[in-house]
Amino acid sequence: MSDVVLNNIGKTYPNGYHAIPSIDLTIEEGEFIVLVGPSGCGKSTLLRMVAGLETISQGDLMIKGAKVNDKEPADRDIAMVFQNYALYPHMTVYANMAYGLKNRGESKEVIAEKVTSVANMLGLEELLERKPKQLSGGQRQRVAMGRAMVRDPKVFLFDEPLSNLDAKLRVQMRVEIRQLQRKLGTTTLYVTHDQVEAMTLADRLVVLNKGKAEQIGTPMDLYNKPATPFVAAFIGSPSMNLIGANLDEQGIRLSQDLHLPLVHQHRGSVVWGIRPEHLDVVDEQNADFALRIQAVESLGAETLIHGTVDLGVKQEPIVVRLSGPHWPEINSLLWLKAPMEHWHVFDAVTQQRL
Amino acid sequence: MSVYFPHKKLPYLLVLPQLVITLIFFLWPAEQAFEQAFYQEDAFGLSREFVGFDNFVYLFNDPQYYKSIWVTLVFSFSVAFSGLAIALWLAVMADRVIRGKLTYQTLLVWPYAVAPALAGVLWWLLFDPSMGPVALWLQYFGVDWNHFLNGDQAMTLVVISATWKQISYNFLFFLAGLQAVPRSLIEAASIDGASPFKRFWTIVFPLLSPTTFFLLVINLVYAFFDTFGVIDATTQGGPGVSTATMVYKVFNDGFIGLDMGSSAAQSVVLMFLVGVMTVIQFRYIERKVEY
Repeated sequence: MSDVVLNNIGKTYPNGYHAIPSIDLTIEEGEFIVLVGPSGCGKSTLLRMVAGLETISQGDLMIKGAKVNDKEPADRDIAMVFQNYALYPHMTVYANMAYGLKNRGESKEVIAEKVTSVANMLGLEELLERKPKQLSGGQRQRVAMGRAMVRDPKVFLFDEPLSNLDAKLRVQMRVEIRQLQRKLGTTTLYVTHDQVEAMTLADRLVVLNKGKAEQIGTPMDLYNKPATPFVAAFIGSPSMNLIGANLDEQGIRLSQDLHLPLVHQHRGSVVWGIRPEHLDVVDEQNADFALRIQAVESLGAETLIHGTVDLGVKQEPIVVRLSGPHWPEINSLLWLKAPMEHWHVFDAVTQQRL
Repeated sequence: MSVYFPHKKLPYLLVLPQLVITLIFFLWPAEQAFEQAFYQEDAFGLSREFVGFDNFVYLFNDPQYYKSIWVTLVFSFSVAFSGLAIALWLAVMADRVIRGKLTYQTLLVWPYAVAPALAGVLWWLLFDPSMGPVALWLQYFGVDWNHFLNGDQAMTLVVISATWKQISYNFLFFLAGLQAVPRSLIEAASIDGASPFKRFWTIVFPLLSPTTFFLLVINLVYAFFDTFGVIDATTQGGPGVSTATMVYKVFNDGFIGLDMGSSAAQSVVLMFLVGVMTVIQFRYIERKVEY
């Protein structure tokens, strides 16, 4: 049975602004869904609508088969982890975690047992008597998760929970969140603008753009077969190289003198793309085009080469990702081949994958 | 690194006006009062006689003085409590208003601009037993309102007048305090299943405690020392001495009763109290209430 169902959900603000036109999403029990998109795409609004902190303007929201559109947040049996953690500053860690249970009228013994067991799971035993301001960022984050877990909700909601942590801690917490979610098997809805976080955490991703779901699928689906240029550019780091081109009898025409052979019945302007990691360095005879090198970023395990391709009327920037260290000279030419199996071609008008 | 000023005289010159004002209007009178407290003066101020601590001994053996301390305490705590409670309630309501918020808030701040004596006269007129609309309205409902005869009613009236003025000030601080409570905390609490009422008392009110404590001290100081005008304009300390606070008694004994010695001794006691209050204010408020 599906756990959370968003049926034609939309949000219109009183001033007439359509934050979210319409979204359909069916979340299975125990699934980890990540809502990802640039800031202002409506991902937080959507999460807050599920939480009950924003009203739902249209459509139905079902949790475990029951319509919860008009239910108070407390009655939806959800728990939320906020970006700034939203820990009650005047309460100890213990009181923070116990607050929800207390409001539910649980007995003291039950509360103590539940809080202790969650604290053990998260390694918070030593911190229970501390106040939030005596904790480090990572510890606060953990308390916020503990407060959500202790209530044993039907759904976990995370609103950019890692964005206030430093890079190293973020990676560590990311792994921890995933492990905990697997262990508890609680359905989870997670909002982030970080595509790496999204890719690593999600069972399925929802890429949002201007309130619309551009694509819903597993991380590998989105990586291998992005439905739109937006998804193609958003998923993967560095971003996919996307070049405006024309599709004619001979194939993809990037410029007057440069075309890549392809047999396709579509005609007209397209967006042609290839990921930086899929470009191969070859010798001049086998190359599709040459890259004028402008900058080299050596990261040890891989090297990113930034340059431009001469397309006659314009210089198109391209990034190439090579494994291992390389030291090509700036301003020299790098001959590249774009293997056809890694092409992504989109209709420039409908923005759909061809 | 210490900052070095090349001018030796300029800093003193710059603080001079403030020093002169403090000297003439604060330290000199205080010194005079302190000196006066040890003398007995005749009613015309023609002669005086050193009496040592007699004025103080007499004062602390006078049941009237204890009465005035009691009046002061009742008055001050009533003003502080009702002022805080009403202002908090108004601030919570104003915080929820979305449309016309600014107008609403401005109107609530206005009474603070009214001079104390005018505030007193305003309430005095409203509650005048023979023509005041509130008094007539109360009489219509069977309350025999006459603060010229009934000491408790007189106390109620001065408390209302003094509180009314202070509500605006408290309101501003509470509103700012409320707006400083992060929204996400309220949201977290509502997800945690707390009703609006419970959210207020378990999350918002504790987070306001630094503001509340600050206002409590400020209001007590106000009611103790700064309400002479209000009392003088409404009840003149009467009926009898039922609304004569310590400050009002200083005025009454000194300028009406012309007992300068006792009046000065009372001033010295008040100065001591101000000192204590200031210490409390600095010790606790500067450090803020911990939560």
